[in-house]
Amino acid sequence: MTRSYEAVYIFDSVLEEAAVTEKLDRFHALLPQAEGAEIALDHWGKRTLAYPIATKETGYYVIAKFDVEPTALPEYERALKLDDGLIRHLIVINEGAQMAPTASAKDGEDDE
Amino acid sequence: MARPSKTCAICESGVRIIDFKDERLLTRFLTERGKILPARLSGTCARHQRQLSTAVKRSRQVALLPYIKGFGG
Repeated sequence: MTRSYEAVYIFDSVLEEAAVTEKLDRFHALLPQAEGAEIALDHWGKRTLAYPIATKETGYYVIAKFDVEPTALPEYERALKLDDGLIRHLIVINEGAQMAPTASAKDGEDDE
Repeated sequence: MARPSKTCAICESGVRIIDFKDERLLTRFLTERGKILPARLSGTCARHQRQLSTAVKRSRQVALLPYIKGFGG
């Protein structure tokens, strides 16, 4: 019985895009996907962290949403912990949270 | 005489489940120091206040929100 999860990865900002995608592919290879099911990736790119993590001020954020058997998670998490290019990760059950509609009139340009 | 309580701002914005990545919405319910505003001040309903506290704690963990704002690094 697959469950839907949401993962946030923060990569070291010295890694360039190609290294990040290569690491992501290696991680997601550990997640056996049902046929046709895709892992939704959302690259936020480099952002300044709210507080320094391991003396680093910026991180490369990637958000992934996927459905997987819970039994596949321990192996996947072990790989995440072993990778030193990944400075932090968070895996939560995907409750279908939504972002609040930004009142575009109010803040005009997007300060992302 | 009890002051009429404010309506829940999150219910009004139409969000049913708060997303922890939405730091623009979350910062509206934090003090300048980055602490979570109590529901009696922000007028948030109990259901959303519970979601808000877990969302803020998660976004702090992924460094979208600071634990203490304005704390010399």
